[in-house]
Amino acid sequence: MLEINNQYTLMKRRIDAEVLKAYFADTLEAIVDTLPIHIIPRERDPNRCCVYKERAMVRYRIMALLGVDIDRDDDEYKPLARYVGEALAAEAQPLPTLTTITPGCSGCPDEQYRITDSCRGCFARPCLANCPKDAIVFTNGRARIVEERCIKCGKCLDVCPFHAVIHVPVPCEASCPVGAVHKNDEGFVEIDHDACIDCGHCAQSCPFGAIAERSSLIHVARMLKEKVPVVAMVAPAIEGQFPGSLAQIKAGLVALGFTKVVEVAEGAHITALHEAQEVAERMEAHAGFMTTSCCPAYMELVDRHIPSLSARRSTALSPMAYTARQCHEQMPDAKLVFVGPCIAKKVEARAIPSISMVITFAELAALFVARDIDIKEIAAQEAPDSSLYADCRGFACPQGVSQSVLRRSSKPVQTMNINGVDKKTVRLMRSWEKRPPEVDLVEVMCCEGGCMAGPGVVVNPKIAMRLRQGADVARVGTIPLGGKKHV
Amino acid sequence: MEQKRISVKICVGTACFVQGGADLLLYEDFLDPELLGLCDIEGTSCLGGCKTDDPKWKAPLVEIAGVLYPNVTKQRLAELLREAVDA
Ligand code: SF4
Ligand code: SF4
Ligand code: FES
Repeated sequence: MLEINNQYTLMKRRIDAEVLKAYFADTLEAIVDTLPIHIIPRERDPNRCCVYKERAMVRYRIMALLGVDIDRDDDEYKPLARYVGEALAAEAQPLPTLTTITPGCSGCPDEQYRITDSCRGCFARPCLANCPKDAIVFTNGRARIVEERCIKCGKCLDVCPFHAVIHVPVPCEASCPVGAVHKNDEGFVEIDHDACIDCGHCAQSCPFGAIAERSSLIHVARMLKEKVPVVAMVAPAIEGQFPGSLAQIKAGLVALGFTKVVEVAEGAHITALHEAQEVAERMEAHAGFMTTSCCPAYMELVDRHIPSLSARRSTALSPMAYTARQCHEQMPDAKLVFVGPCIAKKVEARAIPSISMVITFAELAALFVARDIDIKEIAAQEAPDSSLYADCRGFACPQGVSQSVLRRSSKPVQTMNINGVDKKTVRLMRSWEKRPPEVDLVEVMCCEGGCMAGPGVVVNPKIAMRLRQGADVARVGTIPLGGKKHV
Repeated sequence: MEQKRISVKICVGTACFVQGGADLLLYEDFLDPELLGLCDIEGTSCLGGCKTDDPKWKAPLVEIAGVLYPNVTKQRLAELLREAVDA
């Protein structure tokens, strides 16, 4: 997986902000077709082959931002201004969420292990000795891998004393836990939407930005501009995403024009209560382990790939669903927008009629930039009494869900957690049908590092974690970072 | 001769923070400890760059010994500090 903020994600944020600025200034349709030129001026030192290709990719980024299904509806003759008009007329969250940008895909070579020039053709030849398939041959005193025989086990890479063996993955394919991304016959990326669980790992991994999420940001911008009553339901991971306290972030959302800001941690409290009770009942009945059900990518994973876990999942609704229910009861006329770190939530939300749209923190960041809202300086909103659900803000972090359930349980509960789902964890979870884990509760989060490391976050979890613990943003860098990779 | 200390201010106004500034706050992770020892680094409120339309002032901004620099990446920060220390 790439770093959260890289040249590509930063460019994406800049494009989003420019589009929104123009939208709020009523100039979007007039300037959108020249925006790629404005963003990629001729003098730029390009990261792709040339500035013209970069401009083409900016155009695609804008299309993704407008929710266009680039796979199917890419019409090069159609001006962006027309896409804008159509996007503003649409009503629902666009699905499928992910789309591929074929012209951006580099058609990375198939996964391979290769022996480089650093091979010294040594006497010991550990590569040869360790290869289980006799795939290593020596020509001209140098080792070479016979591709047809290689099973990509990586043993030669581990043993070469000169680090002469390299592994070249296909980033998108390697990141997908369920094998839903692959290269098609032409060698370009394709997503099998029936298998895809919307975890977003592939979009986070492609170094060319060839996999994009279709956004609904423009619709949310429209709600704000037209001043319709709209509630922002903010996911627990929001704390630490912007340079200020949670109360300041809430004030920032109100300054954007949201009528009200509700923490999804409130719904998480109900989820945790429900799970605590359910797990107690299961223990009583010796029914074996139960898994959590709040991670929407995990829910899709089970539905599509691991049916044996269907009945293992808690019947609790997700924190978002409970929060939406409460908000809808209290303000039946308001539109509800979920703001979170997650792409799969976009799919989950489509099944909950009261929720209008889902945007990510990265998209919210673009709104703040476009509207010149500085979270660092804004006066904090008065904090409501949150004692009931404050601990459920931990739903954003690994073990946070199980801990919230434990706190609401009367009996001791044995837990384990799955922190991040990849191909290996999928195999492990499949094996539970035969060898169930000997615990009462399994917490599953598809993103390694929890929601704080989800595909829609803006801040490195190391920094976000310190801000969540109350560090002042001006001093946060002086707090020793420690050696831990994931918080 | 006593080395003068260099004052470094990383902009943590929202525009800079979300466009790469937050990553600069991980300076303990990527700066040479020797450089770190010579610099006083802290986050600061909006330095004003985001308020101008001049494309030159791209976020994130960093002020080093009183001079403003735009579009600072981790690598660029390390270079700039090295230059400031050697100057
Ligand atoms: S990582 Fe996948 S999508 Fe990205 S350029 Fe390579 S093959 Fe294409
Ligand atoms: S399951 Fe995840 S990694 Fe695989 S295609 Fe879908 S979003 Fe991409
Ligand atoms: S936020 Fe950094 S210059 Fe304004």
